[in-house]
Amino acid sequence: MGAYAVKRFLTILPVLVGISLLVFSFIHLIPGDPAVAMLGERATPERVAAVRAQLGLDEPLYRQYFIYLGKVAQGDLGISIIRGDPVLADLVHRFPATVELALSAILLALAVGIPVGIVSAVWRNSLFDGVSRLVALTGVSMPIFWLGLMLAWFFGVELGWLPTGFRLDTDVVIAPVTNFYLLDSLLTWNPPALRSTLRHLILPAAALGTIPLAIIARMTRASLLEVLSQDYIRTAEAKGLPQRAVVLRHAMRNALLPILTVIGLQVGHLLAGAILTETIFSWPGIGLWVYEAIQARDYPIVQGATLFIGTVFVLVNLGTDLFYAVVDPRIAYD
Amino acid sequence: MRRCVRPLIPCLLAGVLTVAAPAPSALAASTFVMGAQGEPVCLDPAIITDGISGKVTNQIFEGLTKYKGATTEVVPALAERWEVSADGTVWTFTLRKNAKFHDGTPFDAKAVVWNFERWRFTKHPQHENQLKAGQTFEYYEGQFGGFDDQSLITKVEAVNPATVRFTLKDPQGPFLANLAMFTFVLASPAAIEKWGTESCKHPVGTGPFRFVEWKPNQEVILEANPAYRDKPAAAKVQRVVIRNIKDSSQRLAALKAGEIHGMEGLNPDDVRVVRADPNLQILLRPTNTTGYVAFNYKVKEFQDKRVRMAVAHAINKQGIVSALYGGTGLAANQFQPPPLWGYNKELKDSPYSGDRARALLREAGFAQGLQEITWEDGRKEPLAFWYMPVSRPYYPNPKEIAEAIAADLAKAGITVKLQTIDWSAYLDKRKKGELPLYMLGWTGDNGDPDNFVCYFFCSPGASREGFYSNKDLAEVLLQAQRLTDQGKRAALYRKAEQMIHDDVARIFIANNQPPLAFSKKVKGYVPNPTNTEYFNTVQVE
Repeated sequence: MGAYAVKRFLTILPVLVGISLLVFSFIHLIPGDPAVAMLGERATPERVAAVRAQLGLDEPLYRQYFIYLGKVAQGDLGISIIRGDPVLADLVHRFPATVELALSAILLALAVGIPVGIVSAVWRNSLFDGVSRLVALTGVSMPIFWLGLMLAWFFGVELGWLPTGFRLDTDVVIAPVTNFYLLDSLLTWNPPALRSTLRHLILPAAALGTIPLAIIARMTRASLLEVLSQDYIRTAEAKGLPQRAVVLRHAMRNALLPILTVIGLQVGHLLAGAILTETIFSWPGIGLWVYEAIQARDYPIVQGATLFIGTVFVLVNLGTDLFYAVVDPRIAYD
Repeated sequence: MRRCVRPLIPCLLAGVLTVAAPAPSALAASTFVMGAQGEPVCLDPAIITDGISGKVTNQIFEGLTKYKGATTEVVPALAERWEVSADGTVWTFTLRKNAKFHDGTPFDAKAVVWNFERWRFTKHPQHENQLKAGQTFEYYEGQFGGFDDQSLITKVEAVNPATVRFTLKDPQGPFLANLAMFTFVLASPAAIEKWGTESCKHPVGTGPFRFVEWKPNQEVILEANPAYRDKPAAAKVQRVVIRNIKDSSQRLAALKAGEIHGMEGLNPDDVRVVRADPNLQILLRPTNTTGYVAFNYKVKEFQDKRVRMAVAHAINKQGIVSALYGGTGLAANQFQPPPLWGYNKELKDSPYSGDRARALLREAGFAQGLQEITWEDGRKEPLAFWYMPVSRPYYPNPKEIAEAIAADLAKAGITVKLQTIDWSAYLDKRKKGELPLYMLGWTGDNGDPDNFVCYFFCSPGASREGFYSNKDLAEVLLQAQRLTDQGKRAALYRKAEQMIHDDVARIFIANNQPPLAFSKKVKGYVPNPTNTEYFNTVQVE
């Protein structure tokens, strides 16, 4: 197990270098000069040249890359071109908002997806099964930005039940401790803030959680069906165990393994989906930040955030693999 | 088997039921919440160039002069009155005596001198450190010719605590209008010295609102300044929140849901939606923006005035404005938009006429129409018409407008290939002269005609874009720039517009009056052509 962990850990290093290289080259392949983008339609050529020099954009590309890598190794992700703030500090400040949203989305997906999957599997080919499969299929193919806008319009504008965006109402004050508002409002015991935070979380979490929800529901159904057809389940049923125990305790334990993998994979999609969801719901996390940075061609932010998201993705996958190895010891001997 | 799953169903329903929470509490009337199209860049007005930052700093800071209401007329602000010497180079301002910065620093002549020295001298400690941090005083450089010896302002003196005297190298027509710009407002010297390069995050002015907090990516919060000197002009609301809502559909959703009171950057298609909503109202910002089609004079065909004239006759401006501006556009016939005082009311535009266009083309030797262009170096290529990839106030939906123009041109026998590219690449190609025929526009900075016409046509060799060269025109404009008498200046700008028109130097398509949407509860919001709007007049019922 230990050797496996080390081996798995070493394989991620080239992946990370690859990510940094890709991020760096893609952003430089896009046409357009960041100095021009930054200074706008009125800039004089001298100003553009001065800014290019100041940003190091006049260095050869490979040199720019190595300078960048050297700084990253020291934890310096650069300075935002537009606002002049250190990228890492901004990232750390904004990450909790994204994590809070992503966790809510995944919890929602699990809380609804797994029960739906179980019901579908147990009542196979029933009306519920048919409907839930249809809904799941729709959910998987729904573009997040469209769904997000529809949710905001329906529940926010038409019904007026929920806010259409942001993390808090304007008149609610919260004392930031961790920048996870749910946690902060509990830590400082602030019920209005807790309520406001929850209300603001529902729509974006629903928009972001739809695809994982649909996938988890389908995965649970398929996985549980497979397990339910196995001999030991039949044995358990034959022994007269209560059916709830058979499904939830015996079958689900084994059916959960592939679901775990799916959740791990979904984290990457959640972070990508966060860009759209955060933009639609004005959610002040990394997604919105990156979106604005891309539009402003704020290279250091785009590079820093992509590298960061890539690293998180790789680490989450590593974590899933290791956890999988713990749950199923056969993996480590492969 | 069924018994074990039944308890799960309430679980599913519970989720749905928690969603059905009661309606949100209405916004408190003492708060005005404005939805902005993005986040401010910086709240130090001397450094910024973007409108969103300016929207915020306008509330916190004041300058010597300002624009009055919905016009570009210049009126006193922190200066009570002023006098100018006969030759137009010495300006003496009498300052208000009871103004104070939010941090308690008194506002006086020394503070004015300090601010101007900070902007003007590259060796001023607060200029130097800003430069090192990559920030520069771009507008000062632009409006006053440069820093140090380059600066048009050569001396700023405190005659006594309530009197400031400016000495200029040459007279500058738009001087007072320049001083009214959002960027030349006065900051507390003590605060700038205290915060240094962090001045972006700690704005301290004399205005009716003072800064409370800037939550990154979310909102900026201001509160009424209880010590504001002028009671009638004091803030009518207690708090102002400027929220960052990037997506325009979401901004409208937030407005309809009552989460914000006002917004700008409405999609042209949504103007109708807002007009149909009994709870909302539309305010049009008086136009200060002109969208045009520019010729590249390195294209041989465009050096022939008949060809340019044919293009001018071929485009149905009125049709475009009616169909594609959501009812907020005006057909343009000159560079200055109508509210500017240099606007030429007498000017007659080339009427829309496909026949006339075809006849002119035939005359110019293109009986078969124009499909191909020849660059000065002899290269031939199909005629490309470039449109912007982003919407701007002057072209709210550039692609559709480009398609309409292309269709009009095709009817007159001019076949164009529509093309676009990423925005900064677009500007770059424009600068390098790689676009043969393209769309662009201008939004005025300071309400002065100079800022429109001279900016583009003053340099005698070649104008700022398109390589158009007209020495006579440049001369007229430079003459107007040096006068301080508005009547004489206006006559020169009218003449300049006629010259540009007669030579078909460029084709002006439309002026847009950008729509702003508000809740009906909002009273007293006065849109200004220069985007310099003051929230102190705003009331929320």
